[in-house]
Amino acid sequence: MNLFYKIFKPKRITLPNGKTVLERRSRLPLILFAVLIATAVAIRITGFDPVILAKRIDQFFVILRQMFPPQYNYTSKILSPLFDTIKMSLLGSAVGALLAIPAAVFSSNNITKNRLIVYANRLFLSIVRTLPTLVTALVATYVFGLGTLAGTVAIAVFTFAYVGKQLYEQIETVDMGAHEAMTALGSGKLSAFWTSISPQVMPAYLSTCLFCLEGNVRYAAILGYVGAGGLGIILNEKIGWREYDSVGMILILLFVTVAAIEMLSHVIRRKLT
Amino acid sequence: MNDAIERKLRLAPKRWYLKLTVALVFAAIIAWSSTAVDASGTDSRGLLIARGILLGLVRPNKELLLNMTKQGVAYLLLETVCIAYLGTLVGAIIAIPLAFLSSAKIVPKPVVVLGRAVTMAVRTIPAFVYGLMFIRVTGPGAFAGLLTMSMCSVGMVSKMYIEFIDDLDKKIFESLDACGCTAFQKIRYGIIPQLIPDFISTIIYRFDMNLRDATVLGLVGAGGIGAPLIFAMGAYRWSEVGAILIGLIVLILIIEFFSSRIRRKLARGL
Amino acid sequence: MIEFSHVTKIYPNGVIGLSDVTLQIAQGEFVAIIGLSGAGKSTLLRAVNKLHGISSGTLTVTGADVCALKGKALRRFRRGIGMIFQSFNLVSRTTVIKNVLAAKVPDMPFFRVLFGLYRREDKIAALTSLDKVGILDKAYSRVDQLSGGQQQRVALARTLTQHPKIILADEPVAALDPVTAKLVMDDFRRINNDMGITILVNIHHVELALEYADRIIGIRDGTIVFDGATSSVNQEVIREIYAGKAPNETEELI
Repeated sequence: MNLFYKIFKPKRITLPNGKTVLERRSRLPLILFAVLIATAVAIRITGFDPVILAKRIDQFFVILRQMFPPQYNYTSKILSPLFDTIKMSLLGSAVGALLAIPAAVFSSNNITKNRLIVYANRLFLSIVRTLPTLVTALVATYVFGLGTLAGTVAIAVFTFAYVGKQLYEQIETVDMGAHEAMTALGSGKLSAFWTSISPQVMPAYLSTCLFCLEGNVRYAAILGYVGAGGLGIILNEKIGWREYDSVGMILILLFVTVAAIEMLSHVIRRKLT
Repeated sequence: MNDAIERKLRLAPKRWYLKLTVALVFAAIIAWSSTAVDASGTDSRGLLIARGILLGLVRPNKELLLNMTKQGVAYLLLETVCIAYLGTLVGAIIAIPLAFLSSAKIVPKPVVVLGRAVTMAVRTIPAFVYGLMFIRVTGPGAFAGLLTMSMCSVGMVSKMYIEFIDDLDKKIFESLDACGCTAFQKIRYGIIPQLIPDFISTIIYRFDMNLRDATVLGLVGAGGIGAPLIFAMGAYRWSEVGAILIGLIVLILIIEFFSSRIRRKLARGL
Repeated sequence: MIEFSHVTKIYPNGVIGLSDVTLQIAQGEFVAIIGLSGAGKSTLLRAVNKLHGISSGTLTVTGADVCALKGKALRRFRRGIGMIFQSFNLVSRTTVIKNVLAAKVPDMPFFRVLFGLYRREDKIAALTSLDKVGILDKAYSRVDQLSGGQQQRVALARTLTQHPKIILADEPVAALDPVTAKLVMDDFRRINNDMGITILVNIHHVELALEYADRIIGIRDGTIVFDGATSSVNQEVIREIYAGKAPNETEELI
C-alpha cells in the first residue's frame, strides 16, 4: 500500500493562514476499479447472464412447489436418520472440541514458549481448517467405510480446527497476572493453567463450541450425500427418485431441529456471557 | 471467632450438585450420541486408502497441478474463485433488503419475526438442493454454482447485517439534526459510514467460507473444483487428488491471509 | 440574541421540563447553565435549536421565532447554531476530516451528498477549523484512534465549520478527565473571545463554570433560580441552586 502513495502523490492544500496539509489520495477509485474488473472477469468465466435468470427463474420454483404439500406420513421414516444426524453432530462436536484444547494450548504464544511448536501447531490448524468439510467426509468414507462413523469423524475434524483457532486466540488475550501469581506461589504448569487461565477462557470456549454445534447440525445433514450417514442419505435417495414431497418433509423437520438447537444454544450462550 | 468462620463456611454456596448435574447430562448426551456410531463398514482397506491419500499429497500429479489449460488445477481454481466471488456478491446484495426488513430497529415486531423465519428457512435448505433447483434454471455449470453460493450466503450474511443494524449508534443523528441535515443526508452521513466497514468485513468473511464450501457444488455438477476432485477420489487416482487438494489448500491459505488482514484494518483502522 | 419569554415545556408524560423561563442572552456572551441532573439544563439548551419543542411562551433566537420554524426553514436556522454533545456524536469509523465536513453537507447539492464529493473550499474550511482547535495533524486519522479530548475537539471543529453565531454545548467535558476538560474549556473561551460566538454551556462542574463563564444561570426543577455575573456567585447561591443536595460535591468544588 505504500507503493500506492508513491505513485499517487498526496495533494498539498494550503490554508489561508499559510499552513499546509498533505491530503493522501483516496484509494477508493482504485479499489472500485479492481472490484469492477474482478466482477467482469468472474461474469465471463462463470457465464453469469441476468437475461437467462430473469426468463427462466420460474424453473427454480418448480421443485420448490412440488415439495408442498409435504408427505406427512413419511415422518416416521425420517426420525431415525434425523436422530443419527443429531448424534453425529453432538459426538463429533464434543470430540473435536476436546481435541482442540491441547492443540490450542500449544498454539498460544503466552503459554507455550517454544516458537517452533507454536508456529507448527498453528500451521497444522490452518491447513486442517482449509479442508472443506465435504472433502473430509469423502476421505472419511473411504477410510472408515460408509456410515455414521465417517460423518462423525468429518465433523470432529472440522470442529477441532475451528474451535482450536478460536480458543488459542482467546487464550492469547487472557490477563496473565493470575497465571504469574500462581507461578510465583510455586504451582506447576498444569495447575497454574487450570486455576488461572481456564476460568477466564471457559465461557468463551463453551460459547464457541455451541456456536460450532449449531453449524454442524446443518453440515451433518449434507454429509450423508456422500454416504457419511444421517439425513443426507435419504435426502439423496428421495431427490434421486424425484419424490420431492418427501424431500419437503425432510427439510421441514430439519428446519425445526435446527431452529430448536439454535434457540437452546442461544439461551445457554446468553447465560454464559 | 472460629464459630464465625465455621458459620461462613457453611453458608458458602453449594454448587457441587449443579456441577454434577451438568456433568451427568453431558455424559448422557455423549453416551446417547455414541449409539449412532456404526463402524461395521470399517475394514483393513481403510488403512490402504489412507496411505494412498497421504502418498498422493506427497507426490501430486505435477502435470495436472501445473497444467494451464481448462482441465488444469489453476483454471479450476480460478473458476472456483469466480463462483465464490460472484456468489458472495449476489448474496450480499440480496441480504441487504432482507436484513433491514428483519431489524427490530426499523420495522414492527411481526415483520421481524416473519423476516427471521424466512432467513432461517433459506439457511436450512442444503446447498445441493439449491444446486439442483438452479440447474433447472441455467443448466449445469458455473452459473448454477454461483447462484447456489449466493443463496447459501444470504442467510448468514443477513443475520450478521441485522446485528450491525441493531448496534447502530443513534446519537450521531442528534448532531446531524443540530447541523440542519435532511433525512436523506442523515442516512448518507449517519448510517452508511457506520455500516460500510462492518458490511464489507462480513462479505469478505463469507467469501472465505464460500471458497471452502464451493467443493459441494461438484456433487451436483454446478461447476468449480469439486467435481474433478470427487471423480478422482472415486477412481482412486490419489496423485490427482493430491494435486487438487494441494492447489485448494494453498489458495485458501493465501486468500485467508489477505482477507484477515483487510478485516483487521477495517475493524481497527489503518 | 437569545430571548426566552415565559417559556414552559411539559413533556408528553407530564414531566415539567421548564416552567415560566424568561431570560435574555446577548451576542458574544459566555454563559454556563448549572443545576442538578434532571433540573432542565438539557431541555433549556435543546429548546434553543428546537431539538425539543416548547409548550408555551415565546422564544426568539437571532431574530427568528423558533416555535414557528419547521422543515426547510428550521434546518436553515439550525445551520447558524452549533451544538456539542457529551458523547461527541461522531462517526468513529471514518476519518476526522470527513466528520468535520459533515457540517457542510446541508449546503451541498444532491449529487455531491450522494457520492461524498467535497469541494476544495469546503476542505480548506474544515482544515482551518481543525487548525483552530489544534488538531490539524490528525485530519486524516480515523476518529476511533483519537483520545476523548481530541474527539471533542473534532466535534468542536465540525461546529466551527458551520460558522455559527451561537454554540450550544451539552455537558461537553463530562466524559473527559480534568486536565483534558480544561483544555477543551480553553478552546471554548478562545472561540468566544476571538470570534465573538455566543457560548451556552451546560455543565455540572461548578468549579469549571465559575472559572470560564461570564454569566451563570442556575436552574432547579425547570425554574431559573439564579441569573447573574459569575463574580456575584457565592456559597449561598450554589446551595440554593443545588437545593442542599449533593453538598459535599459542591463544597469540595468551591
